[in-house]
Amino acid sequence: MALLELRDVHAGYGSGPDILTGITLDVDEGATTCVIGPNGAGKSTMLKAIVGLVRVRSGEVRLDGQRLNDLRPDQILDRGVCFVPTDRSLFPEMSVRENLVMAGYSIDDKALLGSRIDEVLEMFPVLAERRSERARTLSGGQQQMATLARAWIVRPRVLMVDEPSMGLAPQVTEQVFDVIRGFRETGMTVLLVEQNARKGLECSQWGCVLDLGAKRFDGPADSILANPEIHELYLGRQANGNGSASDG
Amino acid sequence: MDVLQIAILGILLGGVYALMATGLTMLYGVMRVINLAHAAFMIVGAYIAFVLFRDFGIDPLLSMVVTGPALFVVGVLLYQLLFKRIADNPRFTEMTVLLTFGLALAIEGILGSIFSNIYHSTEPSYATGTIDLGSVFIPTGQLYGFIASLVLLAALWAFLYYTRPGYAIRATMQDRAAAQIVGVNVDRISALAFGIGVGLAGVAGSLLSYLFTFFPGSHLQWIGLLLALIVVGGLGSLAGAFVGAIGLSLIAAFAIDQLGPEWSYLTFYVLLFVILLVRPQGLFGKAETI
Repeated sequence: MALLELRDVHAGYGSGPDILTGITLDVDEGATTCVIGPNGAGKSTMLKAIVGLVRVRSGEVRLDGQRLNDLRPDQILDRGVCFVPTDRSLFPEMSVRENLVMAGYSIDDKALLGSRIDEVLEMFPVLAERRSERARTLSGGQQQMATLARAWIVRPRVLMVDEPSMGLAPQVTEQVFDVIRGFRETGMTVLLVEQNARKGLECSQWGCVLDLGAKRFDGPADSILANPEIHELYLGRQANGNGSASDG
Repeated sequence: MDVLQIAILGILLGGVYALMATGLTMLYGVMRVINLAHAAFMIVGAYIAFVLFRDFGIDPLLSMVVTGPALFVVGVLLYQLLFKRIADNPRFTEMTVLLTFGLALAIEGILGSIFSNIYHSTEPSYATGTIDLGSVFIPTGQLYGFIASLVLLAALWAFLYYTRPGYAIRATMQDRAAAQIVGVNVDRISALAFGIGVGLAGVAGSLLSYLFTFFPGSHLQWIGLLLALIVVGGLGSLAGAFVGAIGLSLIAAFAIDQLGPEWSYLTFYVLLFVILLVRPQGLFGKAETI
């Protein structure tokens, strides 16, 4: 059985139309799954629906067979699903260290939280260096590292990362993907949404193509990369292999 | 009047204004609520202090232990009954302006029917006392009000910076979605922030009860002044509200001395106008959040 399951999920914002028009998806435990698709396909909305930031109108989201719909985001985090949004969502006026403390808001054991903060400061020397500076003074890459550090503090069962490469220079993107690979090696399940489809699929075992709010295709990541039709439709712009994501 | 004397009076009053403005700016920061009923809640606090003083002889400073908690409860109820259900509306902030203005008028009407529309104030012995320092004097009542305000603001600051719910309130003020992502139950935190914000209006009302005279409709002049303070400081900024309150109060004190008492309120609006022309996001505000 998959760890995270979506069954015919419909979701949308406010009183607007459905952005997700019936997604069914299985995310296997311990694997990295990459979701690709054009802008407006509903990739980010899907992650937000899983984590409770967007209300699921019908269908079901399950973790380990247990229903997540209608839980609050904090309750879903308690079940072990952590979301790293694309805008990084640090607290701009708090110091880096305060941001890490906030990351552990759901951890009641103060000693445990303290040791995990020390651990991430060791893992990310750049954050240790700037720990007392306000988060808004960090560069884009450093902010992405800080949000990933934040996720590492809670040790989620499922880590969902939305467009980690957005707005980052290629070599920084590389570092970010290295961190995500490192998470996976510890056995963490990762669900990745990535505009830079090639890069994202290369870092994943499983791939899923989303378009117009529903799944069009899924399969092993390397078979998606090799599939000429998907290549044409969804990877075409990056066919020369340089892999610089376009926001277009 | 002596410059030092004017400065003393301006700063003492500014501290009280800061207390009054803090709850207002906090609610905007946490929930993007422009609470036009904030001053009406201050007047409610003032009437509670008045009744306690008149009927039980309780000192208005002491009455804060009643007005604060009482209005805290009102704030929590208000959130649960009125604001929670419209929080997801995309026009939430605009809706709160109308909703809270209506609330303010309702409170004014209720107070009017109970106390009638005549001026009241509490008159503890220190309200008219002064401390003579030779060339300058310090009005005792304003000094006590200033000290009480600073103590309360320091307590609020310690709460926000050193406690878990305090962290959560600040996080929610800075980025509501991010707070949810790290596991803050923003619903409960919003209720708490509402309680604190309205509770601060309550304690400010206790001070108002002896520093000024009041009647049910006087919330209208107060809300205008307080909005000027928090907009100048930067909407949603606690430090901005404090600096804005002290600064504007100082300038107003000098304006009154030079130009006459009709400038006591006018100064705030003129300065609001000037600041918005020069720095529309306010002194401590960030341009993109407005």
